[in-house]
Amino acid sequence: MDHSKKVADRYLKREVLGEGTYGVVYKAIDTHTGQTVAIKKIRLGKRKEGVNFTALREIKLLKELKDPNIVELIDAFPHKGNLHLVFEFMETDLEAVIRDRNIFLSPGDTKSYLQMTLKGLAYCHKKWVLHRDMKPNNLLIGSNGQLKLADFGLARMFGSPDRRFTHQVFARWYRAPELLFGAKQYGPGVDVWAAGCIFAELLLRRPFLQGTSDIDQLGKIFSAFGIPTAPQWPDMVYLPDYVEYQYVLAPPLRSLFPMATDDALDLLSKMFTYDPKTRISVHQALEHRYFSSAPLPSDPDKLPRPAPKRESRVSDFNSQEGPTILSPPRKSRRVMPGRDGFEGNSLQADKVDASFGDFRQTTDDNTGKNESAPMSVDFSIFGLKPPNRPTINSADRSYLKRKLDLEFQ
Amino acid sequence: MADFQTSTHRAKWIFSPQQLVEKYRAANQRAKQILEKCGATLMEVDVDGSLSYPEPQMTAKDSAEKHSRTKPLTIEEEQCIKVFYENKLQEVCNNFRFPHKIQATALIYFKRFYLQWSVMEHQPKHIMLTCIYAACKIEENHVSAEELGKGISQDHQMILNNEMIVYQSLEFDLIVYAPYRSVEGFINDMEEFFNAGDNQLEMLKTLQETARFEVDKMMLTDAPLLFPPGQLALAALRNSNAFHRVIDFDSYLRGIFSRENSMHTMSELSESLDAIDSWVIVSHSNVCPLTEQMCNSKSTFCIGWEPWVTSVLHGPLCGLDFVCRLENTKVLLRRN
Repeated sequence: MDHSKKVADRYLKREVLGEGTYGVVYKAIDTHTGQTVAIKKIRLGKRKEGVNFTALREIKLLKELKDPNIVELIDAFPHKGNLHLVFEFMETDLEAVIRDRNIFLSPGDTKSYLQMTLKGLAYCHKKWVLHRDMKPNNLLIGSNGQLKLADFGLARMFGSPDRRFTHQVFARWYRAPELLFGAKQYGPGVDVWAAGCIFAELLLRRPFLQGTSDIDQLGKIFSAFGIPTAPQWPDMVYLPDYVEYQYVLAPPLRSLFPMATDDALDLLSKMFTYDPKTRISVHQALEHRYFSSAPLPSDPDKLPRPAPKRESRVSDFNSQEGPTILSPPRKSRRVMPGRDGFEGNSLQADKVDASFGDFRQTTDDNTGKNESAPMSVDFSIFGLKPPNRPTINSADRSYLKRKLDLEFQ
Repeated sequence: MADFQTSTHRAKWIFSPQQLVEKYRAANQRAKQILEKCGATLMEVDVDGSLSYPEPQMTAKDSAEKHSRTKPLTIEEEQCIKVFYENKLQEVCNNFRFPHKIQATALIYFKRFYLQWSVMEHQPKHIMLTCIYAACKIEENHVSAEELGKGISQDHQMILNNEMIVYQSLEFDLIVYAPYRSVEGFINDMEEFFNAGDNQLEMLKTLQETARFEVDKMMLTDAPLLFPPGQLALAALRNSNAFHRVIDFDSYLRGIFSRENSMHTMSELSESLDAIDSWVIVSHSNVCPLTEQMCNSKSTFCIGWEPWVTSVLHGPLCGLDFVCRLENTKVLLRRN
């Protein structure tokens, strides 16, 4: 008890940063170092199966992964019925950057973000870890502009022969086709596909393949890249959930990414190779000429930063005077006053997006707490709003939760 | 599997013999002080990892009486008890047919836990079971606490109550390395090194099997806290080869050094392998009579081990049945 109290007293709590499935994330000061940290509180209590499995996985892996592009787990301790995970504080995430209409990303900026993403991923794969939840809001950005992979709650070791994994990983928009076809034996290619989706999203400034179900996700993949042929992906027909799709010819990749350079298109096509066996590896991707041709990746500390939350709200307010179709107001999410009893909580008018991605409560893909993606010309022409970004939808999540509790391998 | 070179195992959990002795002494000393002060040592642990020391005794008379009845264990006696429960841990894992990786992980967790604590502070039976449960979770081979408890006729809530204190005592360093995978790696390497034909492949398989038994023995000693898994694996293979005489082991070692541009010398490695052998031999030859009796008895678990063990340790070394009859008001002995 003395030890626990001393450890807990080390951290001075500040405002709440966000809330996830497994608990609250709040900002704090480490009194030993003066460093700002983010603390994820995970409920313990008389659970049927003891300490939360996802939290243990995150601890287990982050304790062994030390890299400039992977978020640091500084400390872990139980206190007052909660397990506390102490992370280095990160100011924002890649999703916020992509969605911020006031930010212009130069080709060098895009290249820099992708490079840091792939470097973090390369370190994971070198240590035989699959991340399995690559998406922009799990890519955190520090005060120095450094991008770091976070949320290892779905990650796991790979490389042992004949181990079978669940295919219910990744938020749907970032899920590789072999997973959508139910593959249980897969490797680092699934992370590369997701990184390809992130690359596309950096280029488009909106999520790339916005499927509303697994079938629809596959449909959108095939609309973008064409139906895979037997020579392209020989093992496809043997996957457990394989279904045949109507033949579609691939449109030119340039038509999807008109502003991209030839090198960028080449790298994208290699990341989106259907056959996981021939899909580019992270290591090979980092050696691709895209990263060595002009312009070089921007220095992290020179990358554009989203405006602080307060200014954003002012901007949103002003935007209501503009044409509705081009700039719809964003709905703010408010923290209930006094709800958590944290210091500084009453000063918060809006809840900050969680720095660490947890599963968010959603009832289905089209409703949820995520703010709308920014409008683009394509959508404004048709007067349609893009669907909200899914994390893992309720059906996926209930299945996943059951898997986590009982069967997760 | 993952990379030992950058692991917390390598960075934090390999000690010198002097460091081990010091840790054991510190835990034992703390427990003795608590015994003198409180008359008892077992801590209460809750699911959130909070600890309570036992309440101080009410009167000096009660305290003196209790003190005379429950003498503290010596460091050597604690070692005997730990070895007993490590044997039990292997038994439980074998009965559940858990993979060797889980058994090894649980054993290493158990050893690390009792680097921080005395067996007088936390019941090794409970910690042993909790380490198995934790190892299943961490190795992603999930077994429910209820199922585990049922399989060994124990209340599973005790496992859940101890889970957090186990992780804390491991400093949340949950990935550990055991020599079994290293043995496989070296066997594969030998196949290539010697360009093994079919007959030699069969002999290497035999070499591997015997080496695995050697590792099983090592896992019941402090060797995993003193040496990296790769060295333990080589020591096991060397012993196995001394028995089966499959390969020229020295030429294999020289081959490793010529290929790897090691910063260390072959004589340094040989010294380590010799040290591992000595440690295992000393550990097993020093098995105390009580541990042997405990291991040979048909009893599985005793509840209220503390008075039972101390009375056995400080009384004449009679047969367990006899001692248990004398202590039947305090001990519930369950037989297979």
